[in-house]
Amino acid sequence: MKDIYILGIESSCDETSVAIVKNGTEDIATVISSQIDIHKTYGGVVPEIASRHHVKNITIVLEECLAKANMKMEDIDAIAITYGPGLIGSLLIGLEAAKTLSFIYKKPLIPVHHIAGHIYANSLVHELKFPLLAVVVSGGHTEIIEMKEHYKFNKIGQTLDDAIGECYDKVARVIGLEYPGGPKIDKLAAVGKVTYKLPVPLKDDSYNFSFSGLKSAVINLVHNEEQRGNKIIKEDLAASFQNTAIEAIICKVKKAIINNNIKSVILAGGVAANNALREAMTKLATELNVELSIPPMKYCTDNATMIAAAGYYAYKDGRIADLNLNSKSQDSLK
Amino acid sequence: MKILYIDTSSSYLYSAIISDTEVITEIKENLGHTLSEKALPKIVSMFSDNKIDPEEINKIIVVDGPGSFTGIRIGITIAKVYSWALNIPITTISALEAMALSIADSKIHIPLIDARRNYVYAAIYDSKMKAILKPQHIKITELQEKIKNLNEEYEIITNDELSMFETKEEYNPNILKIVQTFKNKKSLTPHAVNPNYLKLTEAEEKNN
Repeated sequence: MKDIYILGIESSCDETSVAIVKNGTEDIATVISSQIDIHKTYGGVVPEIASRHHVKNITIVLEECLAKANMKMEDIDAIAITYGPGLIGSLLIGLEAAKTLSFIYKKPLIPVHHIAGHIYANSLVHELKFPLLAVVVSGGHTEIIEMKEHYKFNKIGQTLDDAIGECYDKVARVIGLEYPGGPKIDKLAAVGKVTYKLPVPLKDDSYNFSFSGLKSAVINLVHNEEQRGNKIIKEDLAASFQNTAIEAIICKVKKAIINNNIKSVILAGGVAANNALREAMTKLATELNVELSIPPMKYCTDNATMIAAAGYYAYKDGRIADLNLNSKSQDSLK
Repeated sequence: MKILYIDTSSSYLYSAIISDTEVITEIKENLGHTLSEKALPKIVSMFSDNKIDPEEINKIIVVDGPGSFTGIRIGITIAKVYSWALNIPITTISALEAMALSIADSKIHIPLIDARRNYVYAAIYDSKMKAILKPQHIKITELQEKIKNLNEEYEIITNDELSMFETKEEYNPNILKIVQTFKNKKSLTPHAVNPNYLKLTEAEEKNN
């Protein structure tokens, strides 16, 4: 069978990335231009600034990726593009670039949902086995997706308010940690003890999540302690918060695995880089005797490699867009 | 010699393919909120309808602003990726220059783009297209002062409401004239082709 090379482009938030993936599984070349240091000054991603950097970077990143792969655009079979969800101004840079390349080189244009990308980051490390459960945790998403075959997504649970990563960043700010605070909480928690009492959110029968209540509980706790003149022990608060947040994820995932007769679970999204979550998921998988796949750290944050990997399966599924394709800031995974 | 012209700095798509002496094909269409979706396919239709290959273009002239931030980026991204892919010389011009050039009279030309909150993007050009006031983001009252001090007849060109300016010429780009004026302007590497917003982002302004 002929090898299929997909060029992926990702620009949904603050990373401009281009990658080439062979047959949906082999990372040939990946280039990521991150703006994290730029947005740090502002305590979070500023959409207009992100868009301005994407347009500056796009051709540079394209050129570096092709040079790294030692390939030409003519060698590419199709172009995969993150059409959404994400910051609209940022998404549009990748989209217009992909459409222009599709026109010039007469290559099929494949629209990829950002979350499909995070799920398929796992196919870069090993083959996906169905029926599987994808646990997607990031700054913008907290979802449980059931898949019976390639590129067929069935969302069975999601956050009703904040995403888990968003909650981490907000709690980090309350504790006084610099943006992005999520990874810093994970580090602090590792040396702290669970001493503060926080409510486990949304203990119901659904597979849904809620994190805004937990965030408020942390903020209230900090205010109350301050008013009483008590010093917050940051390590312990981080450990207590992390323990509760992960407990909220694990109890829903456990139920979903049991009820849906799941054989294999994959963790995806930026928060998949969280050590405590990785440990808890590993423990759960062992307990329930299911296979667990966690992407390596480099594929957890936003990258075009995962978009190109997902793009391969979308291409096989016949999902080809015409040049009228538009970006969408919000769209459900179908 | 074929030159591709692209301006998406407003809600309009102004695009054309120009030969040495004539317009082969052009589009002047208000795409409103569908600009991001329709700009590229509309440009592509100029090629397909006239059986022109993308490789046949010898130069790209793209408007780099000022105007709608998102709009500018759409045209710039298309143009710089096109130029990068096929190694085609590319150059940028200001939307205000394009506006001033499109009016055929010998007066002073004052192109205006609404920048909201009592500001405009503006420039003042004499009859020889020499900038008396360089393209800038300027408070309307300040610009009105500058206009008052002009001792010659002038013409205001704008497609925006801007009711404080009574007599205005509507902007209808003379793309042939614009392209002929700038076709020998120095080319840039596509990596260096970037929007010229003439304004910092709000977050940057607050931080300053």
